[in-house]
Amino acid sequence: MTVADIIQLWNSAWPAGVTMLTLGSAFAIVLLIASEKLKVEIDPKIEQIHEALPQIDCGACGFAGCGSYAKAVAADPELIGKCAPGGAETSDKIAEILSLQASAGGHPQKPIIHCRAHTADRTYYARYGGIETCTAANALANVQACKFGCLGYGDCVDACKFDALHNIDGLATVDYEKCTGCTACAKACPRNLIEMVPFSHENMMTVACSSKENGKTTRQMCKVGCIACSLCTKKSELFTMADNIAKMDYEKFQPSDQTEEAYTKCPTCVIVYRGKSAPAPRQKEKKPAPAKA
Amino acid sequence: MTANAKGQFTFPGGVHPPDSKTLTEDSPIQIAPVPKQVAIMLSQHIGAPCSPTVQKGDEVQAGQVVGNADAFVCAPVHSPVNGKVKEIALRSHVVLGRVQAVIIDVDLENNPPKKINPEKYTNGFDFDAISPLQIRDTVRNAGLVGMGGAGFPTRVKLEPNEQSPKKIMIVNACECEPYITCDYRMMLENPEQIIAGVKLAKKASESPRVIIAIEDNKPKAIQMMARKLRELHGTENIEIAAVKTKYPQGGERQLITSVLNQYVPTGGIPPMIGILVLNTATTAAIAEAVIADWPLTHRVVTISGEGVSNPGNYYCSIGTSIAEVLEFAGGTNSEAVRIISGGPMMGIAIADLDTPITKTSGAITVLTKQQIGKAKFANQQTPCIRCGRCLEICPEQLNPTKIAHAVKHELLDTAQTYFMTACIECGCCSYVCPANIELTGYIKTGKILLARQKKKMPQ
Repeated sequence: MTVADIIQLWNSAWPAGVTMLTLGSAFAIVLLIASEKLKVEIDPKIEQIHEALPQIDCGACGFAGCGSYAKAVAADPELIGKCAPGGAETSDKIAEILSLQASAGGHPQKPIIHCRAHTADRTYYARYGGIETCTAANALANVQACKFGCLGYGDCVDACKFDALHNIDGLATVDYEKCTGCTACAKACPRNLIEMVPFSHENMMTVACSSKENGKTTRQMCKVGCIACSLCTKKSELFTMADNIAKMDYEKFQPSDQTEEAYTKCPTCVIVYRGKSAPAPRQKEKKPAPAKA
Repeated sequence: MTANAKGQFTFPGGVHPPDSKTLTEDSPIQIAPVPKQVAIMLSQHIGAPCSPTVQKGDEVQAGQVVGNADAFVCAPVHSPVNGKVKEIALRSHVVLGRVQAVIIDVDLENNPPKKINPEKYTNGFDFDAISPLQIRDTVRNAGLVGMGGAGFPTRVKLEPNEQSPKKIMIVNACECEPYITCDYRMMLENPEQIIAGVKLAKKASESPRVIIAIEDNKPKAIQMMARKLRELHGTENIEIAAVKTKYPQGGERQLITSVLNQYVPTGGIPPMIGILVLNTATTAAIAEAVIADWPLTHRVVTISGEGVSNPGNYYCSIGTSIAEVLEFAGGTNSEAVRIISGGPMMGIAIADLDTPITKTSGAITVLTKQQIGKAKFANQQTPCIRCGRCLEICPEQLNPTKIAHAVKHELLDTAQTYFMTACIECGCCSYVCPANIELTGYIKTGKILLARQKKKMPQ
């Protein structure tokens, strides 16, 4: 390439470059003016709240996602505390951002499944061959003998977005490491077996049964059901008995010798620990010796 | 005489399943032996549950009230036997799950089986001496409910409504469901009782005209009822309509279309257009309540199906367990695989044989693998092939496959745009589906999910 060629190229190219530059700067000026004139004011609080939220878009608060909840809570501070996965910590942060008093506190809510029977523990009258969802199975009267226990077709497993629920031998089981407490499973269960419980300790003690049958019938239907013997209520004041089923007072729960005694003395081992590092449910030792001959 | 019925005696859609009525249609109603124990459900059907009026250990007499409630949509329950209350415990109900029931140990020495007594209804009752209100109150106190299936309290149905006065009353004697013959046998054996009940219901509901609709595969019943209507007095405005044999002819919406060529609005009920539909068994029970002064404690149950040793029609006490009822019919044979409360189209499979007979259980059907079909039995569903058969036969002109797919993917709003709640759950779509898709099952599931969603909304 000679010098003359380069000069020729330059002569033919420079008008195009100038045109591009002119157009570019003209558009840049238009955009600059537009960004100033048409600016949307965003409340910095909303962004801060959004950052404080867990950002998992689970929908437990009743809004479409964390973004819309952040907007809503900035507009109406009464909505603080709806974020189940974030729990008290998040609520406190939001309150701080909105310069309000810290919220009432409380512990993060986690689901507890009130059934501990696996397929082998349950009684079945017949084989179910219908649609394999809990809702469909629950519409029939006796898919399994117990009308109150977990059906094991996994409506809650399907509802969980965090892979925190698994069907283990016919019993839905919560993986508390993964659980965010979004309440989707509690809403999905047709038998209302899943209760959201404030986890004041890492492991909570609970009565893992919801059978309202009398003791004799429960025993016929399930090997590990609550037979309403009231032993736990005698051992610890935290347990109350209503409708043939023992209930734990989660608000007051505090591990103690009494609760430990109720746990170890329960004849059907239906009192169990649930939580991140919960021990496996107690198994019945050999054959239960008759208490009184 | 008024003008004849205007309808075509048929309705759009529907199927023709093999009716299998030959198994029991010629077997006369037999009086079942008294059971050892009865369990009277305190909540048997739509309406408020009763609370027990007896306690553990109480002696009860046959016909005594054992459960009652103050609600308007409610019917009391009575003991069918003399005996002693053993306990009040939970028992399985086909639809409602586990409900409270009064368990009565029967006093076996002092309990002759109750008979039907047709002679009571042939003569001597003065229909003019009783007022409509008296009839309605007797019907309420006798615990009468619709005995065809849903079990809506009859007193509420009979109540005249000023806004839409009853123009016509249809007695539903179609019995379109395969296998079931209990109403057919009642029509053949006790037509007087049914007609007496029809007259009473007509008076109580103040409807000027009555049509008894019978499917044309029951010519004997049509003849018998027509002859009795001619012979008996006070039957001027009662007609018989022979409707075409087709399932679900006995669905009340379909029947109204068939007989009167009128359509009940979607989501509406027949009283809105001034029509009352009563089942034949219910009219027979009205006659028993008013004329014989006896509450609803017994009913005719058809025990049929290829899985039963001696199929037949049995007059059983309400509260007898299904195991014991099957025992009357010689028990199930070795091929029986499925026991259904009701008929094969709309009935519900039962697993717990301790489930008691309720006021609404008209039949127990025991099916073998052959009747269910191999693929259906193994639940081998294949993908929808878009053949459109379910659309052709749907008596409500719905699109079952669209609804079922929407429910499968939990798109309840989409399902509602296809009018999911208008489904009458007749089971025709599941019956014709060549891919064995449980269409009705999915629609039922969808309805439950929708009801639950609505319940949880306000929170």
